[in-house]
Amino acid sequence: MTTTDTRTAAPEPVLADRAERPSLGRLWDTWGITAILLLLLALTPLVAPGFLQLENLQSVLRESAYLGIVAAGMTFAIAAGAFDLSVGGQLALVSVVTLLAYGAGGTPAAVGAAIATGLACGLVNAGLITKLRVPPFVATLGTLFVFRGVAYILTQDGPQTLPYDQIGSPFVKIGGLNVAGVPLPFVIMLVVYAAAWVLLRRTATGRRVLAYGSSPAAARFCGISAGRIQLFVFALVGLSVGIAALTYITRVWTADGSAQDGFELKVIAAVVLGGTSLKGGKATLIGTFSAVLLVSVLNDVLVGQGVPSAYQRIVLGCVLIVALTVDGLRTRFAVPGSLRRAVAGLAGRSTDPDSA
Amino acid sequence: MTGLLRRAPLALPLLGVAVALALTTDSFLTGGNLENVLVAAAIVAIPGLAMTLCLAMGEFDLSIGSTVSLAGVVCCSAIIDGVPAPLAMLLALAAGALVGLANGLVVTKLGVTPFIATLATLVIVRGLSLAYTDGHDQIVSSATLKYLVGGRPLGVPMPILLAVVAGALAWWTVNRTRFGRWVCAVGSHREAARVSGLPVDRIRIAVYVLVGMSGGLWGLLISSQLQKGNGQLGLGFELDAITVVVLGGTALLGGRASVLGTVLGAVLIETIRNGLNLLNTPPAYQRISVGLLLVTALALLALRRTPAPAPAVREVTA
Repeated sequence: MTTTDTRTAAPEPVLADRAERPSLGRLWDTWGITAILLLLLALTPLVAPGFLQLENLQSVLRESAYLGIVAAGMTFAIAAGAFDLSVGGQLALVSVVTLLAYGAGGTPAAVGAAIATGLACGLVNAGLITKLRVPPFVATLGTLFVFRGVAYILTQDGPQTLPYDQIGSPFVKIGGLNVAGVPLPFVIMLVVYAAAWVLLRRTATGRRVLAYGSSPAAARFCGISAGRIQLFVFALVGLSVGIAALTYITRVWTADGSAQDGFELKVIAAVVLGGTSLKGGKATLIGTFSAVLLVSVLNDVLVGQGVPSAYQRIVLGCVLIVALTVDGLRTRFAVPGSLRRAVAGLAGRSTDPDSA
Repeated sequence: MTGLLRRAPLALPLLGVAVALALTTDSFLTGGNLENVLVAAAIVAIPGLAMTLCLAMGEFDLSIGSTVSLAGVVCCSAIIDGVPAPLAMLLALAAGALVGLANGLVVTKLGVTPFIATLATLVIVRGLSLAYTDGHDQIVSSATLKYLVGGRPLGVPMPILLAVVAGALAWWTVNRTRFGRWVCAVGSHREAARVSGLPVDRIRIAVYVLVGMSGGLWGLLISSQLQKGNGQLGLGFELDAITVVVLGGTALLGGRASVLGTVLGAVLIETIRNGLNLLNTPPAYQRISVGLLLVTALALLALRRTPAPAPAVREVTA
């Protein structure tokens, strides 16, 4: 975690941002949500003494892994100016297929099936978007229904489950094992983020994704193929769902067509909360990573404090709005870097509704 | 005929589905069944019409499914607390309008992307209705509330009557009023609209309030059907409302609204759902069909419209 952190602090590729000079605003873009996460971590033990127990921390990390892994893939899609609404359906379908494959061929079959099914889902989306030219929003909205539907059909006789006698198998250990006290799913998530960071910041493909996201037309004139970028990002999302499903299914042990309803919105929310712009062209994996942990920690604290789930939703929604408001005000009022202006802008705007 | 097809491309698939169902089932073409289809279509069309304006403006409201549950909860708990039913129903509409106002203010004054803002209110509003009901059903038996779905003034079921009025209003708004043109102008190019002196923020807020109120009415209709309200109603309804609009041909990138398309989209979806029910298809296949339908419709529209590769990605972020 620390290695990726320090390296991203270096100036980002120019094409991602107009301002090259490091400034408070640019720092906030990458590190803002991390700062909020650290603040939350510092305050949490005061309100929730049980939070710092090893087992609780492990469960928070274990819980954040599958959301985090998919969010890493989704960061690429959003960086390219699209998003994938079908990830919830993909996760349900991949989980069901993985359990079926595990029943048929053990651990290797399950792992292979997860990756292959995830990729296949991604390719279906990519095909619809690039070959049939359906806008990504609608294409993935449609496949959300389709993937979930297929998962439902596969589980018509009841949810697929891992039998309890499998508790010692290597497959189940994916979700349960700790490496030096760190849950394996979280280790997998760290590896995924390291790989994603290299892909985004140190390869031509990553730059092409960002270039395409900031201006599809300009990117096309530069010889970047729109179809290939879309194929790449949607396949990547599918792959990330495949990996995530392995950590998810070995933790919850059961899946059917309704698994993780509303997952897509959680993933997109985490990515955007992290500071990746829905307009495309700007991405921060550090931000996504911190946002995922922030949501998990917040969830854990609320659950630990016995806050009813209804109120948990309200709190999480409000956090989302507050975090996004800061970002919205910045992009709307601030010339890059000028936080003062943003504040002045806020003061100016807030009188508006009164006078109107 | 060709003119009608150009303006309402959905008429053809709708006709095809209807003929197929008439031939394969005994019960599709009975009066009672057709009425069921139209009532179901009317109930989706009402929020769909408001959502048409929202999409024409280039924005989404994802919170409408939660508004449905909030409106039901407000209405039913008010009735249980002894508030007269008509007043309780007005309260529910007001609650919907308030959610819309909140959406509008967050989107315009705080500058949060509509997708995320309404996603957040989706979570918050559902949280509110779950918290208020503590997860319990609010069961009522109110003749007035029941009349909203069960009533038949002039022999026409009430939802159909409401949808016809809403459709006429929506058509008139889009095609004959300044406000309708403003909405499309904001959807085609928000900055251009602002520079031309349109009160862009107020237009956007107004549309969100409209969508919120239509969500409130949707909630009332659902609660009237079930004679109860609870925090779980309306789960995933936001996608239904958007699907109907998109099927109808209202461009996702804003700037164009097709009121007739939305109505036909609602009828088509409900006809297909009805047909799948009549054919005893398991619910799983119904989900797949709706998804496939959405994708096919959009693929056909996209293939017909764009011979050259279009920057399809940017359109959605709005």
